[in-house]
Amino acid sequence: MKFLCTDCDTAMKFKDVTRPEQGSVTALFECPDCFTEIAMFLNPSETQMLKSLDLKLGGNNEAAQPMQMIRSQLETAKTEPVSVEATTNSGETAEGGKCPFTSVISDAFQEESTPTPEPTGPVWTPEALERLERIPSFVRPMAKMGIESFAKDNGHDEITGEVMDAARGNFPAQF
Amino acid sequence: MKSYKDLPSDAGSNIIGQVAAQSTRVQKRLASVKHTVAIMSGKGGVGKSSLTANLATALTLKGNTVGVVDADINGPTLAKMMGVRNATLEYSQTGVKPATTALGTKLISMDLLLAEDDAPVIWNAHTQKDAFTWRSTMEVSALREFIADTEWGELDYLLLDLPPGTDRLPNLAELVPDLGGVVVVTIPSEVSQLIVKKSVTMAKDILKIPIIGVVENMAFYICQHCGEEEPLFSAEESLNGAFQQAILGSIPFDPRLARASDNGTLYLDEYPDVPASKALIGVAEKIQAFFQGDTK
Repeated sequence: MKFLCTDCDTAMKFKDVTRPEQGSVTALFECPDCFTEIAMFLNPSETQMLKSLDLKLGGNNEAAQPMQMIRSQLETAKTEPVSVEATTNSGETAEGGKCPFTSVISDAFQEESTPTPEPTGPVWTPEALERLERIPSFVRPMAKMGIESFAKDNGHDEITGEVMDAARGNFPAQF
Repeated sequence: MKSYKDLPSDAGSNIIGQVAAQSTRVQKRLASVKHTVAIMSGKGGVGKSSLTANLATALTLKGNTVGVVDADINGPTLAKMMGVRNATLEYSQTGVKPATTALGTKLISMDLLLAEDDAPVIWNAHTQKDAFTWRSTMEVSALREFIADTEWGELDYLLLDLPPGTDRLPNLAELVPDLGGVVVVTIPSEVSQLIVKKSVTMAKDILKIPIIGVVENMAFYICQHCGEEEPLFSAEESLNGAFQQAILGSIPFDPRLARASDNGTLYLDEYPDVPASKALIGVAEKIQAFFQGDTK
């Protein structure tokens, strides 16, 4: 992708990128002549495609770490400690975790770990989110989608513990 | 107004440069690998992974250094078949040390990274909805990292066990442009041959990748009491008639081979003199002969 400032007829330059909010990344570009800024919003699918290709907006000056895409993106990965010491950006030694390099790779694509509600779906209460966190990670996305689907089908605008109880019978995972 | 071609770069992301760096990483790692061999079929259930595991053992027993990539990202079986399922991968800045069998065969597989027996491969995403738009890309990236980031060391052979589907070889060819050759696996059924022929066309005519030859797996059954050979399937056309490729061998069905795969033990080591072992060794010898004279 290339961006042109139509006023100046000058190629715009990458300026900044935000972490995803609800799966959407925002990239800022600036005209070097008139300093006009534009924002490009990637929808969740576009953001995910970049993650899948292990590419970074704004360039990548960091040395690639072994299997960095797999280790940072595989939700069902082992969580055993790794056998080498690695340091984070802040210089702290990583202790365990599925990837000691997660904090230094694809920063722009790391979202907060707390699940966020779907943009147009029912709203999750804090209590329900806490219960969602207790579902095994590898079935959590499917359970979340299923509960949301149940809530929509039954006219609930908000997902509470009661809604989860009502939806529980539809899923093998306990929560 | 300027057009796309007039602008010098992609505003600083250098996406092409990032992709080139990924490709360079693969090439650097493969520089110490003499021969890359894809094991493919196009058809599922013909025993590709079992054959791969045993060919890797056969080539190792013949004094070669051998690595195996389990390219079936979603259905990885080779760690179990090769008896290294409990291995812990070791990471360092230079790469990931693969699992190693008792004979020294090296293996990388998604199974070695998954948390639990019943854990499927699920990728981190804001939502799994519409995952079909990016999941295949994620799988190809994972395969790239398996090849590029595993510390293979010096290898005579790197075997890549592909999952079913004629689309898998083109994906691999993108990652490994100078793939040494393809071993095509089929069983003596018309259904299998129908699909496998498509894979042969894909490899030979479209991708121009050398076909080392065809292996007929589960070719027949040998009665353990009377020693008579009985067919397991019903293909009327002979292998030679169905494929205009070199036939590397016909492997008889042996329940002990299936048991060894389940137990993660070395069939060739346990039963070196049975017909299936001899056939597997024969296939390995023909693969070696194929590359004879290639001095890379």
